Amino acid sequence: MKKRAAKIAVLIASISTLAVLTACSGPGSAGNAGQGKADPNAKVTITVGDEPTADKKADRATFLQHVQEFEKAYPNITVKPSTEYWQAQTFQAKLAGGTLPDTMNVSLTYSRQLIDNGQLPNMTPYLKQIGLLDDLNPLALKNVQDSKGDVYTIPYGLFSVGIAYNRKIFQEAGLDPDKPPATWDEVREYAKTIHDKVPDVAGYAQLTTNNTGGWMLTTMTYSLGGSITDKSGKKASMGRQTRQALQLLHDMRWNDDSMGSQFLYNQDDIRKAFAAGQIGMVLQAPDVYDQATHLYGMNPDDFGEGALPQGNGQHGTLTGGTIAMFNAKATPNQLLAAAKWVKYMNFQQYFDKDLAVENAKSSVASNTAVGTPSLPPVKDSVYQRYLGWIKDEINVPLDHFAGYTSSKLPLIPEPADAQGTYAALDPVVQKVLTDRNADITQLLDQASSTIDRNLAQQR
Amino acid sequence: MSRTIDLDVAPVRARRRRRSIVDWYRSGGLTAVLFAVPVVLIFLYFSWGPVVRGVLMSVEKTNLIGPALWVGLNNFTYVLTDPGLPQAALNTAYYALLGLVFGFPVPILIAVFVNELRRYGWMYNLLAYLPAVVPPVAGILLWKFFYDPSSGGIFNGILGWFGLGPLPWLNSEAMAMPSLVLYTTWAGAGATAIIYLAAIGGISPELYEAAEIDGAGIWSRLWHVTIPQLRNVIFIMMLLQLIGTFQLFTEPFLFTGGGPNNATQTIMLKIYNYAFVNGDYGAATALSVLLALFLCVLSVVYHFITKRWSPS
Repeated sequence: MKKRAAKIAVLIASISTLAVLTACSGPGSAGNAGQGKADPNAKVTITVGDEPTADKKADRATFLQHVQEFEKAYPNITVKPSTEYWQAQTFQAKLAGGTLPDTMNVSLTYSRQLIDNGQLPNMTPYLKQIGLLDDLNPLALKNVQDSKGDVYTIPYGLFSVGIAYNRKIFQEAGLDPDKPPATWDEVREYAKTIHDKVPDVAGYAQLTTNNTGGWMLTTMTYSLGGSITDKSGKKASMGRQTRQALQLLHDMRWNDDSMGSQFLYNQDDIRKAFAAGQIGMVLQAPDVYDQATHLYGMNPDDFGEGALPQGNGQHGTLTGGTIAMFNAKATPNQLLAAAKWVKYMNFQQYFDKDLAVENAKSSVASNTAVGTPSLPPVKDSVYQRYLGWIKDEINVPLDHFAGYTSSKLPLIPEPADAQGTYAALDPVVQKVLTDRNADITQLLDQASSTIDRNLAQQR
Repeated sequence: MSRTIDLDVAPVRARRRRRSIVDWYRSGGLTAVLFAVPVVLIFLYFSWGPVVRGVLMSVEKTNLIGPALWVGLNNFTYVLTDPGLPQAALNTAYYALLGLVFGFPVPILIAVFVNELRRYGWMYNLLAYLPAVVPPVAGILLWKFFYDPSSGGIFNGILGWFGLGPLPWLNSEAMAMPSLVLYTTWAGAGATAIIYLAAIGGISPELYEAAEIDGAGIWSRLWHVTIPQLRNVIFIMMLLQLIGTFQLFTEPFLFTGGGPNNATQTIMLKIYNYAFVNGDYGAATALSVLLALFLCVLSVVYHFITKRWSPS
């Protein structure tokens, strides 16, 4: 009896010790309580991410030089660079652990989730303080604001989804490489032509795994005039247009057999297959160009990019890109300094001709693409002036992007809880492409209830 | 009754304890405790701290930045009512079953085979163990090529020589899970075979000699000598494999991302998605706690079942 009591006592004692120990590690309160009251001249040290690693010598030297120049321009700010960069697998854990730098670059797709979860500091006062807010592209700002209009991150490196195509395959199939498909009917027709005339090539391929299936189904739905979640962000709102998109994929897969044999593509795999000439057309933003040509060896002459094909009229396309995010645990002075750093690193070139030319030259020297069409992070007038400054350094065949750049499609932000919503839609796309008898309506009903559940849990 | 005994014994015990405390102190007991305390605390903090923190998080709603909110059993209700949970559980069980039926005997057979070889045993040993040396990520990326569903894929090419295929492999709901089992058997069999080989080495050669004198062939030696002698190792390996299969994550994550149509969605992958896709740590830890409880129960049940089979 006594032994047992002693054992229990020891157990209780150890558990309470553990509880005390772990209580120490509990999450602290957000550190920016006195938000918005930043002193621009206070001495401050900030950590910044995305320092190129030692194997990229030229990039690293340029980056460190920027750090020196920045510190010269702002003597009260000390910059500690870190090679931390955004990785989907570890990002949430590091964010939660508070080990991220004061500012670093993150995929735009996380913007809404981070804002809704209260994991980002309100940057509006600091952006106003450094006068950047008015020069940002108003279309892009929609993605980084909450319902009150407060801005939480700085969007840049933006793009909208279009359709990438292989010009060589188009020629082999007897299609005009200067005329990418503008409608979904044309996509289907071209894919069939490619399948019939060019052996071992998928006419059209679709992203399906790691949330990209939902991502692209959302893009297709937008292009057909539909939506995925309602305006309040509380309910799924998929309807006729999403069904139409899935039916199209189903018909291309099962009736035309024009989508090849691989239906589990993530972003990297599909880009590799596209660069290797195994795919005729694929939904991609123009940023695929740099990876396809420089990393995977695609011939730049074969690359083409058109605007996102539309159906049922002209509707729009989905935006994506990079945001500079800030650490919610940083002090106001650090946040102000970090905002200055982001402005210096990513926006200064739009206002300083010498810097613009110097940056472009260094990119050309390191063999990265200069002048890839994208959505400007700044107002159009500022961007056009910048393009004029660097026009001699542009190494991207701009005429191959004509279909994309000439389009004036409206930009539609991502749905509520973007990644969770996309995850719920992945299996729907996979099912349609791997099961001839998939019941599209039933699949969408199931996905809708999953999305509703997720959105309710988020609140 | 017991009270009287207690009364009789108590003073003796107290004396003994006092004496022993002094002895204990003199023989450097306190110093030993002082040395041990930091180690024990660090162990508790880093090894058990996260476990307790996880249990606490399963009843909270937290983004780990702002203060956490107590939500009681909400997270448990949420994960238990997830329409995807039954399928993930079934997939996990299906994988465990396939692994047991097809994957489990392979290392035993390899070990017996290598053990029977009179020459070049080391070479087969090495060949069997090599896949274990390949890092899982590299191995999986390699096998993704093998599983290429077009007729030009490596496996489909081989099947083509015999006029079979092409098979969709990972691209079909029916074939995706068996394809994962094929890979994990390839990757894991060598390392497990080494353990069996070591155990076989410990079997007394006299038993085999006696069996041979009785005219036993290779199969009856395997059945009547090797397997009964390996019984305890087999039970332990089976339990470890069961626990391992219930924690299946890397393969579906890298091969299929849980697809097609959730056919390879597992419990661990769900936990990962809750935490790192939805940022919902409460739900992720709630499901982790449930999985841990299930594995505890499984281990206990397994212990009692196999105890009955054991020779002692």
